[in-house]
Amino acid sequence: MENTLLKLEQINTHIEQFHILHNIDFEVQPGEVTVLLGRNGAGKTTTLRTIMGLNSATNGTVQFKGEDITKLPPYHIAKRGIGYVPEDQGIFYDLSVGENMRVGMRQEDDATKERMDWVLDLFPDLKKFWKKPGGQLSGGQKQMLSIARSYVNDNDLLLIDEPSKGLAPVVVEKVIESIEKMKEKTTVVLVEQNFYMASRLGDRFYILDDGITVHHGDMEQLREDEELKRKYLGIA
Amino acid sequence: MELIINLAINGIAMGMLYFLIACGLTLIFGLMDVLNFSHGALFAWGAYVGIWAFDVTESFVIGLIAAILAGLILGLLTELIIIKPVYGNHIQQILITLGFMLVLAELLKVVFGPDIMAASRPGYLDGSWSFGDVTVIKYRAFIILIGLLIFIGIMLVLKFTKVGLIVRAGVMNKEMVQALGINIRLVFIGVFMVGSALAALGGALFVPNSGVAYAEMGMEFGIYAFIVVIIGGMGSVPGSLVAALLVGLSGSFMGYYYSDLSMVVTMILMFIILIFRPQGLFQVSGVSNK
Amino acid sequence: MIKKIQRSTWIYLAVAFLLVLLPFFKDERWFLFLMIQVFTFGIFAMSYDLLLGYTGIISFGHAMFFGIGAYSVGIILDRMEASYTSLLIGILVAALLGGLVSFIAGILTLKLKNHFYAMLTLALASMFLFIAEKWRSVTHGSDGFTFRLPELPGPLEDHRNITIYMFCLVMMVLIFFGLRRLTESPLGKILVAIRENEGRVESLGFRIMPYKVIISVISGVVASFAGVLYAISIRFVGTNVFAIDVTLDALLMTIIGGVGTLVGPIIGAGIIEFAHHYLSSLADVHWIFERWIILFGIVYILAVIFFPAGIVGTIKAKLHKRKHRKIEAKQQNADKMAS
Repeated sequence: MENTLLKLEQINTHIEQFHILHNIDFEVQPGEVTVLLGRNGAGKTTTLRTIMGLNSATNGTVQFKGEDITKLPPYHIAKRGIGYVPEDQGIFYDLSVGENMRVGMRQEDDATKERMDWVLDLFPDLKKFWKKPGGQLSGGQKQMLSIARSYVNDNDLLLIDEPSKGLAPVVVEKVIESIEKMKEKTTVVLVEQNFYMASRLGDRFYILDDGITVHHGDMEQLREDEELKRKYLGIA
Repeated sequence: MELIINLAINGIAMGMLYFLIACGLTLIFGLMDVLNFSHGALFAWGAYVGIWAFDVTESFVIGLIAAILAGLILGLLTELIIIKPVYGNHIQQILITLGFMLVLAELLKVVFGPDIMAASRPGYLDGSWSFGDVTVIKYRAFIILIGLLIFIGIMLVLKFTKVGLIVRAGVMNKEMVQALGINIRLVFIGVFMVGSALAALGGALFVPNSGVAYAEMGMEFGIYAFIVVIIGGMGSVPGSLVAALLVGLSGSFMGYYYSDLSMVVTMILMFIILIFRPQGLFQVSGVSNK
Repeated sequence: MIKKIQRSTWIYLAVAFLLVLLPFFKDERWFLFLMIQVFTFGIFAMSYDLLLGYTGIISFGHAMFFGIGAYSVGIILDRMEASYTSLLIGILVAALLGGLVSFIAGILTLKLKNHFYAMLTLALASMFLFIAEKWRSVTHGSDGFTFRLPELPGPLEDHRNITIYMFCLVMMVLIFFGLRRLTESPLGKILVAIRENEGRVESLGFRIMPYKVIISVISGVVASFAGVLYAISIRFVGTNVFAIDVTLDALLMTIIGGVGTLVGPIIGAGIIEFAHHYLSSLADVHWIFERWIILFGIVYILAVIFFPAGIVGTIKAKLHKRKHRKIEAKQQNADKMAS
């Protein structure tokens, strides 16, 4: 497709001597939420880290907005317009909420300010605890801070790694609602184990198993396909 | 009473010098997980360059500035030539920076000659003030003042500037800082240079107090700086200040009463800290300490 | 595998034999003395390699064991009559003290990360230096002291230097084979595994600390013995045996010779001692040779970056490659024959 935003072709990634990703092909269309599904250890996080340049691919290419970014260092990739919300949220514990937001800001122009106001309306808790150290926030608040921080820059793509992990169902619902709202403004790649969340948000899905993409298609399709869900996601 | 005050002032002045070496060391370790054993050599280089420039220009201030410049340049070279090839490998880092320490110390003898170099104070900092029974040596007060100003300056930069924010964030989680679009290596080179410059400044400030400079002083002060960093907590600037004052004061008081024991007391202090609180007095989250 | 070990053993024995013959051809005092230094520092550097090369422990205070050995034997021979009994007691005390100090230091410090350990050992060593300087009634302070050795029987006394040369050489060879045996034993294998990946060994159910302590005790005893030989060979003990330079020498010898090879540190000791000797004598030619340590520092830094395996390690890797190629070539030939 012409305007594919992100395209991974035949990506292989090793971590030390272990071969984690095998010939991963993966595409993201602008304006959509693409969900990466799969069991623990299937290679979902490594896929995101490879896109960010935090793990380097041994071969294959990653293209973003038509440009080859495979060999770029992480900070260049981030500057190209990719925001990253890691599995552990990557909050700087001794920095206040406000400082956590400010570290990530690449510009401080009006557009950034606008996005900041918008995202603070979305997560009023962050405004409330603006001066509180990031380490003292609750799990849900940390997640929101991390998502807000990735959004505040002029990014075209957000990579969000398991936002539902370790959160209470009520909080998960809140996170889902907020990502739903963000969806209108940006493109998202979501790694999720929580099928409920994935199915609420996703337009398209990829299933990884043992570092191989075993299936992909429209989310609609997966919702109906009980067999596939049982086989790879362990949901009856 | 006046004795106690004098010893305290002496101890605080020494503590400030220890702080100047230790704060670079602690930030370099916290930010990039690099343990730089050659850091102490910068102290000696600062001392020699300071004396030389003071002699040539007859301006103490220019001497201090020359020492800072020498520190910046040597810091940059150290980072590019010595540290960069061994990122991420602790054993190699320890081995190579120790070797570089030797080379820097010997190089000092090649450039400035193998003999001890005499240092003097500028006239306007010579002498002392009397407050009743208490006499305060001017030069020591000057060291304390500079040390305090630098501490406040560093804290302000860390607290209120974007670079400072990035440094603090980098100490906690380097990877995330990069994923936010910041080139952490550039920041690190900057911190390395500033840290080295502060150590060099410390050396240039120290020698007019002691009167002599010698190449091996780098090793001696390097060891003290490490002890300070360990006691204060790796990565913590306020921790370095507190620990440096502690070490300076204990050295000054022990030195007066049992001069032989001051080094031993400092070592024992470090042992106790390491065994009961290996993370140091001030812990920064995200800095590994086991 | 067994065949290979035997071959290298023969080579080592042949070299040792040549070294036995050497003093009969070249018996100048300075030369014998230099060789004795090579042997004693060879032993000392091997004990360092046991820590650094086989366990990945960096000690900056290894000189303390060297010094403990030197002072133990020196003080006992100084205080008691110069007899064989006191010499033997001196050696035993040296070994015991070396082992005890490394045991206590190990238990206190080996749990810590590399750089803390390096710092703490440095601090400990400087404390010993301090004690040696201040406890003047026993150590004679920074002046040091000479002591007498027991008289050797008959003709050996006339060739005292050659006798000491032989004794140190034999000791070095014995210790070399002993340590090699140790590193090839199951214990040695576990140590290497600890160096490579501490976490994995721990998860396999091994407790790491006891192994590290055992190895640092053995290393301490050997280093202490090296100190004994050093003191005997110069019949003098001074505070310099506790100096950081002694540790640095061992570090240089080990790195340049080859970490984790045991024979490397001996070769390193030879190179450093002879280079030191010749380079300092060149000081008349150009003053830069006075600062020979700079040259070594640079070589050392380059070695850490480009040849982290050292001389012996690099040669071994080359031989290994060649052998591999030979085997491959044989295989190809065999394949050709078959087809």
